[in-house]
Amino acid sequence: MHRDRILRSCFLCPPAEDRGWQPPLDIYELNDGWLLKADLAGIRPDEVTVSLQGRTVTLRGHRRDLSVAEGCAHYRMEIAYSSFERSVELPADPGGDARVQTDYRDGMLLVRIRRGNSHS
Amino acid sequence: MSDTHDPADRTYAVLPVKNTVLFPGLFLPLSVGRPASRAAVDAAVATEDKTLVVVAQRDNDQEAPGLADLFPVGTIGVIKKMARGQEGVEVLVQGAGRVRLIETVQREPFLRANVLPLPMPAGGGEQVEALFRTVLDAARRVLELARPQADVDVNQFLAQAPNPVQLAYLIASMLGIDVIKEQALLEAESPEVALQLILEHLTHETRVLELRNQIAAKAQQEMTKEQRDYWLRQQLRAIQDELGETTPEKAEVGELRQRMQEADLPDHVRKEAERELGRLERLPAAAPDFQVTRTYLELVLELPWKKGSDGKIDLAAAKEVLDADHFDLERVKERILEHLAVLKLNPKAKAPIMCLVGPPGVGKTSLGQSIARATGRVFERLSLGGMHDESELRGHRRTYIGAMPGRLIQAVRRAGVNNPVLMLDEIDKLGRDYRGDPGAALLEILDPAQNHTFRDNYLDLPFDLSNVLFICTANALDTLSAPLLDRLEILRLSGYAETEKVEIARRYLIPRQVKETGLPDGSFHLPDETVRRLVMRYTREAGVRQLEQTIGRLARKVAVRFAQGTTEPVTIRPEDLGELLGPERFTPEEARKTMPPGVATGLAWTEAGGDVLYIEASLLPGSKGLKLTGQLGEVMRESAAIARSLMISQAPRFGIDPLTVRRTGVHIHVPAGAVPKDGPSAGVTMVTALASLFTNTPARSDTAMTGEVTLTGLVLPIGGVKEKVLAARRAGIRRVVLPKANEKDIRDVPEPVRSEMSFFFAETVDDVLAQTIPQSANRIGVVTADGVRTNGPAVPTAAQAGTTGG
Repeated sequence: MHRDRILRSCFLCPPAEDRGWQPPLDIYELNDGWLLKADLAGIRPDEVTVSLQGRTVTLRGHRRDLSVAEGCAHYRMEIAYSSFERSVELPADPGGDARVQTDYRDGMLLVRIRRGNSHS
Repeated sequence: MSDTHDPADRTYAVLPVKNTVLFPGLFLPLSVGRPASRAAVDAAVATEDKTLVVVAQRDNDQEAPGLADLFPVGTIGVIKKMARGQEGVEVLVQGAGRVRLIETVQREPFLRANVLPLPMPAGGGEQVEALFRTVLDAARRVLELARPQADVDVNQFLAQAPNPVQLAYLIASMLGIDVIKEQALLEAESPEVALQLILEHLTHETRVLELRNQIAAKAQQEMTKEQRDYWLRQQLRAIQDELGETTPEKAEVGELRQRMQEADLPDHVRKEAERELGRLERLPAAAPDFQVTRTYLELVLELPWKKGSDGKIDLAAAKEVLDADHFDLERVKERILEHLAVLKLNPKAKAPIMCLVGPPGVGKTSLGQSIARATGRVFERLSLGGMHDESELRGHRRTYIGAMPGRLIQAVRRAGVNNPVLMLDEIDKLGRDYRGDPGAALLEILDPAQNHTFRDNYLDLPFDLSNVLFICTANALDTLSAPLLDRLEILRLSGYAETEKVEIARRYLIPRQVKETGLPDGSFHLPDETVRRLVMRYTREAGVRQLEQTIGRLARKVAVRFAQGTTEPVTIRPEDLGELLGPERFTPEEARKTMPPGVATGLAWTEAGGDVLYIEASLLPGSKGLKLTGQLGEVMRESAAIARSLMISQAPRFGIDPLTVRRTGVHIHVPAGAVPKDGPSAGVTMVTALASLFTNTPARSDTAMTGEVTLTGLVLPIGGVKEKVLAARRAGIRRVVLPKANEKDIRDVPEPVRSEMSFFFAETVDDVLAQTIPQSANRIGVVTADGVRTNGPAVPTAAQAGTTGG
């Protein structure tokens, strides 16, 4: 019991106060910048906001449980609903004039960041 | 965006939980089983933001709690995962914010309540900072104590807590403190209060954990000491191997250790044995002590400290065994069965120590074997005859070279069980000298109150002898010391009568000898008359040992004939005996046909049974006093003196001139001259001999007598009536005069003998003389005045014989 509690606390405890759930994401390094790929299935692209502030990229949004609205009852629930927020730091500052381009493909949100001229 | 952080003006499904509290920011897995709670979860999952309020309930036994049964402050929880299973619903809830429950909105199908959000406790200052650091340190300490090999970096983990209150929550959930304290922490309005609470608990936890670790460490230490010993011993062995020191002797030591581990030893014995073994292991094999210690350890390991044979006693079976092995001896068997009955009813009873007393060859030793057989115990025999050194019984101390355990411990070791039947044979033949008295050592061994801690000098450990059934045998009790006699329960086995011997020969001896010589069944016949002649003429003894040997000789002689080709069955008639065994060895002790005045027939008891004894007296004119010959003992000499004094003092009554008696010397001789004799029972015989001498009248030759005489002429009882009567019978004497007080002992005489003899019981010397010198009765005035008997010739009437014989 004791040990379980400690372990559970370790692995499940959020690092900071509640910011909802956090989507997993990959970061690729490109010649001219980075590509972020976030696992955001079942989300309407218009309900996601991407912001870049210095080196920090933040994804915010909301995943709605549409099935409930259609009158279904849960038998099992593993998918995290409600709002999410995920911040990640890039290895280097892309510069103030960096360009951000988003694309939503097959349940993945792709964010392409190109370095600004000030750093190239 | 969700409104998780702004639950104002909202109602929530309420999930009551037992034994735990959901803290904001932390996860809590819950197993939901109660129907109302499942309904609450269902409702929460159906909402957009999957929220409900998790509240601890005050009383765990309350199955359908209302608002009053719950603590007033709860936590908004977001259901992160949910799965339905067989038993109920598993949910993972994450705490969001604290709320105060205001009022019930609905009871059925689940509790729904209106809540007021509470802000997170906030604030700072030096005190909070100080408390925060103290709590951090204490938490680190606790986590280190609880999980010394934590694979999680405690510091890093604790540093994740963004603020003091969150840290308190985190620690509380990790420690698993009780629900009242958790609830108090949840309700804390400021970081200070929260930190104080958690610090209190951490301090307590630290003490408990330190204590627990101390206990565990101690246990560990004890455990490792044994392991360490084992490990070192292994190393020692390896080193000795390496040095080439493992000799066959050392291998034996290893074997001893192995045996010791397997042996079932009492604690105090094991301790001592361990010590000796340790010594042995350190000794070089060439040391003189090595063999000594090894032999000692072997003895300790072989002794039956706890092992006993299953001594179940079946009285019926025991009686059968005794009857099958021995003829007659009814009274002895009865008493043995009594002992066995007591042992059966109370196995813990102090085993009585029986002592079988009787002449040689009457079956004492084999009776002991029968007792062992009847009780299902192991039989061991220990002959004490000629033992004169106490150390032989009790062992030598190990400091002596060639020391050995005592015979007793050796016998127990041979028996292999701690409850054997141990026969101490010939206890009356114990010697003693300057080296000590083995009889004194027997005192301890045979005392049930002492022998449960018998300490052999060699063994030097107390051994429990109280389960041993001791049986002693002796031929006579004269040489036993009084304290030793006191410990023994005497069972007398008297000699067998002629008829009994014939019976024993027919039932046991002849079949046994036929079997031993290997003669075919029915080929060897020994009629009763032949056996009777053997008993009378060839083997004059109380027991049957020589009789059996002689029957064996006859059987072998017949076997020779069979080996030479005879096939006819052989019957040995009495007249064949002379040819087969040589001339008769004993002429029957037939009564002297004619006896001159001064001779009387006495009866004596010997270790070999009874015997007829003639006492001869003659006048020595011109000399004075009393002359005695025939190896007489002190008591017998006194008897002679009493007889003479009686003659002088009562001479007129016997019709004797007192002057003659006083002036004339008397010589009394008791043949055979070379055999020592003693005892008072020849008193009446001496009186009769002297009376016959002085009255010049021969005593009756068909009458034998025995009895002690006092100076006033009273006849006192004597022992060995049965043997004496049997001896008289053997000699062909049919009339016996016995002391009146011995009348009861006639019962011991076998019936066939009893019915063909006449007994006369005397209270005074006059009664004796009336039967032995009837011719003098006329002259002895007192007797005639007696009035009890007639003065006629003292031939017994049928009536007299009948009353006395029965």
